[in-house]
This record gives sequence, structure tokens and C-alpha cells, in this order.
Amino acid sequence: MEVTDARVVLAPAISLICAGLVFAAAEHTFWRRFLSLSAALAKLVIVMSMLPGSLRGIVYTFDLVEFTPGVGLAFRADALGMFFSVVSSTLWLITTIYAIGYMEQEPNRRRFFGFFALCVSTTVGVAFAENLLTLFLFYETLTICTYPLVIHEETPEAMKAGRKYLAYTLTGGAFVLLGSIVTYQMAGTMTLSQPGILSLESGRGALTLLFVCLIAGFGVKAAIMPLHGWLPSAMVAPTPVSALLHAVAVVKVGAFGVLRTIYNVFGVGLLKELGVCDWLAGLAAFTIIVASVIAVFQDNFKRRLAFSTVSQLSYIVLGASLLTPLAATAAIVHIANQAFAKITMFFVAGSIQRTTGKTSIHELAGIGYRMPYTMGAFTVAALSFIGVPLFAGFVTKWYLSLGAMESGQWWYVIVMLASALLNAAYWMPVIYTAFFRGSHDAVEVHEAHWTMLGPALLCAGYVLMLGMTVSVPGMPFALAQAAVHFVFGM
Amino acid sequence: MSDWSPLLAVFLVLPLTAAVLTPAVCRSSSTRGWAWTLVTMLVTSVIGGVLIARVATRGPFSYVVGGWTAPYGIELRFDEFSAVVAIICLLGVLAIVFSRRYAERALQAERIPYYYALLLLNLTGMLGFTVTGDLFNLFVFLEILSLSGYALVAISGEKIAEMAAFKYLVMGAISSLMVLFGTGMLYALTGSLNMADITSRLAGATQTPLIVALGAMTLGFMVKAALFPLHVWLPDAHAIAPSPVSAILSGLVVKVGIIGMLRLYQIAYGSGAVDLAGLNLVLTWLGALAIVMGAFFAVFQDDIKMMLAYSTISNIGYIVMGLGLASTYSVIGASVHVFNHALIKATLFLGAGALIHQTGKRTLTDLAGIGKAMPFTVAAISIGAISIVGIPPTAGFLCKWYIALGAMQAGHPFFGFALVFGALLIFIYYIRMVNAFYFREPRDRAAVDVQEAPATMLIPVLVLAILCLVMGVLGRLPLTFIEPAVERLLMPVGGG
Repeated sequence: MEVTDARVVLAPAISLICAGLVFAAAEHTFWRRFLSLSAALAKLVIVMSMLPGSLRGIVYTFDLVEFTPGVGLAFRADALGMFFSVVSSTLWLITTIYAIGYMEQEPNRRRFFGFFALCVSTTVGVAFAENLLTLFLFYETLTICTYPLVIHEETPEAMKAGRKYLAYTLTGGAFVLLGSIVTYQMAGTMTLSQPGILSLESGRGALTLLFVCLIAGFGVKAAIMPLHGWLPSAMVAPTPVSALLHAVAVVKVGAFGVLRTIYNVFGVGLLKELGVCDWLAGLAAFTIIVASVIAVFQDNFKRRLAFSTVSQLSYIVLGASLLTPLAATAAIVHIANQAFAKITMFFVAGSIQRTTGKTSIHELAGIGYRMPYTMGAFTVAALSFIGVPLFAGFVTKWYLSLGAMESGQWWYVIVMLASALLNAAYWMPVIYTAFFRGSHDAVEVHEAHWTMLGPALLCAGYVLMLGMTVSVPGMPFALAQAAVHFVFGM
Repeated sequence: MSDWSPLLAVFLVLPLTAAVLTPAVCRSSSTRGWAWTLVTMLVTSVIGGVLIARVATRGPFSYVVGGWTAPYGIELRFDEFSAVVAIICLLGVLAIVFSRRYAERALQAERIPYYYALLLLNLTGMLGFTVTGDLFNLFVFLEILSLSGYALVAISGEKIAEMAAFKYLVMGAISSLMVLFGTGMLYALTGSLNMADITSRLAGATQTPLIVALGAMTLGFMVKAALFPLHVWLPDAHAIAPSPVSAILSGLVVKVGIIGMLRLYQIAYGSGAVDLAGLNLVLTWLGALAIVMGAFFAVFQDDIKMMLAYSTISNIGYIVMGLGLASTYSVIGASVHVFNHALIKATLFLGAGALIHQTGKRTLTDLAGIGKAMPFTVAAISIGAISIVGIPPTAGFLCKWYIALGAMQAGHPFFGFALVFGALLIFIYYIRMVNAFYFREPRDRAAVDVQEAPATMLIPVLVLAILCLVMGVLGRLPLTFIEPAVERLLMPVGGG
């Protein structure tokens, strides 16, 4: 059932308004904090207020402006979009609290919090986009809005990373635009409300090219190898930005675009006919393994996190390209599972950096005794990535493996196992160093400020909750299943 | 019907008379000259608004000057394409407002009355050019606006300005001659100078002279539009002219070539006497080349106005490519970009003018870090930059979307590709500019320790920046307006 409801516009708009007010509030710290927090809270309330309806199968829509008939800005909160927006608005609130603590001493906080709000506005815009044009619009705006955040430090290194970031993502954006135009020309519509709008009549060659074009465009932000180069460099940004970029906004928007391309532009049936998804699945499996291997050799904490992100994102791409319902479930829930676990790790890395000044893993000896809660949160996230049952990451691996068996491609189960081992190979040493190396006598407990510790613990709690409440009705998992049912016509 | 159309004559006679009277009215007070031209332009804008409202509700209409009917008399004709007068009036008003403080510093006091007179004359020339229905009259207005343009480039009196103006004059004079030559040949072929008349009489005309005539006129108009490789006069002229003049020249005067081209298409397509496929192919390729070459040259500039001037060459490339592709979407995109590019480029040039006025510097190196001292101006420039690259939801995006869609529609996906990736090249130098203003350390702190621009400069810049955003969101408005005209234009050739 479709209902016209202004809330789907209000959800992205509220952070836009917040950004405007933050810029207007000048360097007034109290108002900036008050505005950022209240907008984040208001947005979460708006999105959550749509959740019960969405779980009952109601789709909220709103047509904002029409450029010409059929081409315009339109919003639609279907199950997939709701899932993504619930994740991003929850994490916005948590990251805002963290950022307030983390950015305490930094210059240019007005610019930081203004663009921070804009990023979330555009992320929810992508989640609720009804058509490819609206999606593209927010996809590009996100690129522009994250640029000032990436180069926040304004050091030559940051400027260089910023240039690299723009070169990659804007080229990707150009591919998305081209793909959208071709889609419109072929299908006569750009809506994302159907399980597929293209048909074989357009010709196999043209459709394959279009698929490559769209996947390449979204794949840049989803960091599918070899399009991942920008991501490790962008680590020069302040930690809350890395957290936002690598867990919620930028990379997930890319992954979300891949999901939309596969499920709503092409459709599962057509892609099975074309056979292009086998190649994509292969590429994703390659990325999962190779990025993990690279991660093992990184000593810088944030760089190891970056390559782990590259690897984890391809779980989503792999799940989507297997084209079976169980694998699709894995792809969608991994948006949340990866987000909460990865953001926990970023919070931890940032807290350690702020409290002790340490950025390399070999320096972390004994840190588990100085910052026990922080490292406890880290351990939860690490176990989730390794895929231990009861943690969120297990759910993904389980469904993804089932999906691989379902499609008869059993070798992807081996990829899952290899990835689990590799995850253990690069996260276990961190835990080992933190708790079992160095002297732990006479070390005083010195935790990060509560604004930084609290968010990390909260996210770790979420990781456990997502791992244990899969079958509880009313949880986001039900949304993922609703999305899968729609896409596969079940 | 007839009780409305004389307004069309008033629309031209009023600013023309006022322009001639300006030096006498303002004598030694530059403020009086400013107020006089501003009031004239505001009244003209109101008339323009009435005319556009009329064409929107009742379609195109004509006024026959002095009651002499065609082919003997002069016909003024107002159709959907003439609605471009809206942007001419708007930019005219804003450029005049902006000039108040700018001219006082940049020009010698005794030249200021002539500056306002020439500016008004230039605007009148463009208004006349867009609403005339007579080919010879078209040439006359073209000369009015070109001559006043040459003088405006030279008005600062510096040596380099005179050089630039001379270069502009030589190229401009040759192109005007080409247009006149083509007009003469069309007259010889049909015995009429009225465009509608020529269109109806042209069927069955001898091919060779017709092709030569259309070719000469196209060449002439394309020099005026600065289509690559006929652009050599543009960068110097646009960069060296006073900033409000640069905004008018870059935003509007080059578009005269495009509007002339549209009129030529109306005649050629309407008569069906000649197949333009070859010409269109050449224009499309040159357009694509212009996008890339304009961006390529711009990357190496350090002078901000020089950079903006090269960016105009790229954007003319978009428009000409859209016209050349000759499908409904691409021509709609090109027509709308005539309007939107004027808005965007005026934002950028006036913004740059404000920076130059406040700091006395004009290179990226010297202006590094200016964003903190002049936040509003630089924010407006940034919006202009995002808009000209075509990032949604700004005004520049729509044209990119429509022209690329038109390329698919015309069966030339390559040009869609060229357009989308050409825009990326353009982004390279705009990001350099924004980076320098906001994120680079100033080379000389004292140089950028200045006040925000005065209100008469800031307000026009902000108004334009806001319009860049508004036109992106309300893009439907100009589109639906221009659509019937484009469909009428392309109907004889099968609607693309």
C-alpha cells in the first residue's frame, strides 16, 4: 500500500535545515551542539515513526518537484530504503555525540558540523530516492559535502587525499549519470519502485554495457577493487569523519546503489538471463580476499580499518550478485552489521588516538588495561567481523553461505571461511597486543571522555543485539526480509 | 491584439533614447548616471515582463513598425526564443547596480557617463537582436551591440585593454561582414529581408548560393559565439574588460551568436530548402572539441577572470553541440543553457569583480585564503562553480542532462559520453579555485585582510547565486516554456 507522506522529505530536509542553522550560528559552541544533537534526534524520531508502518507493508511516498513529466525529484520509503535510513539516522545521532567530544579542540568546527549534517541529509536522500535522477542528485551532493570533511586538517597530505577522493568519486558520478541517461532512454522511466524496469528487448550488448557503467559508477564508492584507491588515502580525515564515511554515508551509498541497480533497475530475472552477475560476484570475492590480505600487513590502525572496510563492503556486493533470496538477505542486513561493527572500531581507534596519541598497532601493548571498556567494545566488533555466532557478522556469513549453496556456487562458502580466518589474522593480534603484551602492573585506568566512550559501547551493544535478535519481530531484519520478498516476487 | 504590440517598439526605443541621452543627463555626477540607467533598465524590464507574459499565454506576436507591412517595412517579432530578454534585463539591472562602486574605482571619472551610456546601448542592441523579425535589422542590432562592446572592453584606457579591444574589433568586424554578406545573398535569392518571408520563398532556391549564404552567416555567428577554434579574441577581451562588462559579455553577448544561429535554423528548417545534416555534424564535433579545449586551457590559468573566460568557451561548446545534435531534448537543453549559463557566468564574473575590487588582486595565488575575509562573495562563487560543472540540484545540471539525453535520442551516444566527462575536466579548475579561496594559506596576509564587498556589489552576486540554485530546482519552468518553440522548430525535420 502506498501513502503520500511528507515525512519522507522531512527526514532528509531536517539535517539540511540543521546545516543551514549551524552555519548561521557562527562560532557559538552551545548552539552548534544543541542544533546538531536536536536535529539528529528529530531525524531519528521521524524515521522511527515510519518504521511500524513500513513493517506492516506501507510504502510512504512524496513527489517534490517534476522537471518534465516522469523526470523529477521524488521520494519513496520502501523496505530497502527504510532499512538504510534507520541505520544511517541511528548512527548519525551516535556519531554526533562522539564528534562533539572528539572535535573539542579542533579549529573550523562550524564548517565541520555544517557539512557533517549535510552528509547525513544526502545519505537519507539516497535511501529514499524514488528514481535514478534523485539518487544521482544526492549521490553527487554527498561527494561535494564530504570533500571539506576529508581535507579538514588542510595539511598538504589531506589536500592530496582530497584531490584523489574527488577524482575517484566524481568520475564514478559521471558514470552513474551516463547510466541514468541510458536507462531513461531504454526504459522510458527511471523509477526504482519496480523489481526491474529494463527488458531484454534493448539488446544484450547494450544492457551489459549499461550494467558495467552503473556498477562502475556505484562501485567507486562501494570500493570494489580496483576502484578502492581513494578509501585508504581518505583516512587522513578526523576520525568521526572516517567513521561516518566508511561505515555509514559514502561507502554504504555506493553499496546501496549497487543493490538498487541489481534489484530495481535490472531486476533479478533479467540479470540471470544476462549472466553478468557471475563476473561481479567473482570480482567481489577477489576484493574480499585481497583486501583482507593487504590489511594483515598494515601497522597503522586506521589503514588496517580501511582495508578491512574494503573487504567487508564486498560482502554486500557478493550477496547481491548471487541473485538468490538468502544471499540478498545477507547483503541487506550486512549494511547494518558492517556499519555498527566498523563504527565501533573507528570510535575505539579515535579514542585511543585522542587519549594516548597512539596510531600504530604495535604501540598498543597493554592498552587493554588502561582503557578496558574501550578495548572491550573493540573485542566485540572484532568477534563480529570474524563471524563468531551471537555477533552480528555471523548472521551475514550464515545467510551468505546458504545463498551460495542455494545458487550452486559452493566455492563462495570457502571464500567466506577464508575471509573469517583472515579477519581473525588481523584483528586477533590487536586484541593480543592490547591485553597480553606489555606490563600491566601499576597501569592506571584512564578511559576516554564519556562522549567518546559512550558511543563506542552503545555501538558494540548494537552489534550484539543485531546478532541475537534476528528472529524477533519488529527488528530491522524483518525489513530486510520484506525487501527481499518484494524483489524476488515472493 | 494590436493594442498590445506597440509596446514592443517602446521596449526598444526607450532604452535606446535613454542611452543616447545618458552623457547629457549625468554630466559630471556618476551617481546620476547610475540612477538614470538603472531606472531605464528597470522600466524596460517591466515591459519585457509584460511581453513574456503575453507570449506565454497567447503565443508569438508581431509589431509592424510604422504600419509598413513586409516585405517593405520592418517587423518586430516576439516568440518563445525572444523570452531570453528576461535574462538580458535581469543581468542588465544587476550589472548596473554592481557598477556603482566598481566604476568609481576602476574608471576615470570623465569616462563614467560614457560607460553607462555604452552599457545601456549594448543591452539595447541585444534586446533588439532578439526581438527583430527582419534580417537586415538583425545586422543593425548586431553592430550596435558589437561596437558598444568593443568600446566597453577598452574603456579602462589601459594599454592592454586597448590591445584586447582591437583584437576583438578585428574578429568582430570580420564576423559582422560575414553576416551582412549572407544577408545580402539571401536578399538576392528571395527579394525579401523579412525572416518569415524568406522562409516561405526559399523553397526551391538554387542550392549553391543558398549554402554559401547560410555558411557565411553561420561562420559569422560562430565567431560572435566564440566557438572553438574561432574563440581567439574572447579570453583577453572578457578578462580585461571591467567585471560588470565581463559578466554581460560572457553571459549574454556571446549568446547573441547562438540566438542568431537559432534564427538561421528557423529559416533553414522552416523552408526545407536545404539539408543541414553536414553543418550539424561539424557543429556537434566542434562543440565537443570546444568543451575539452576550453577546459584544457582554463586549467593553466592563474588569473581568475582568464579562467572564467575559458570556461565560457567550454559552455558555448555545450550549447553548440546541443544545437548540432538537432534532437528535441538537445535543442531544449541548449536553449535553456543559454539562459542558465548567463546566470551562472554572471555570478562568477561579478563575484570575481567583487574580489578584485576589494583586494586589488586577480590571481589565484594572491587571492588564496580570501574565503575567511569575504565569506558571502566566496560562497556565491562556490555555488556558481558547482553550478557550472553541472552538479545537481543547480541550474547547470539540467542542460547537461537534457543535452546528453538528446545525444542518446539522436543516436550519438558518444557525444553524451563526451559531455558528461568533459564536465569532469571543467571541475578540475573550479576545484582549484574553490580550494585556493577556502583552504590554502594566504601568501600575503595583509593582502586578503579586507572587508566584505559593499552592498551594491554583494546583493547582485547573492541574488544571482540564489537564482543558480532556484533555477536548478524549478528547472521545469523554462523547459515547458521553450518546449513548444523547439518542437515547432524541429517539426519540418521530423522532430529529431
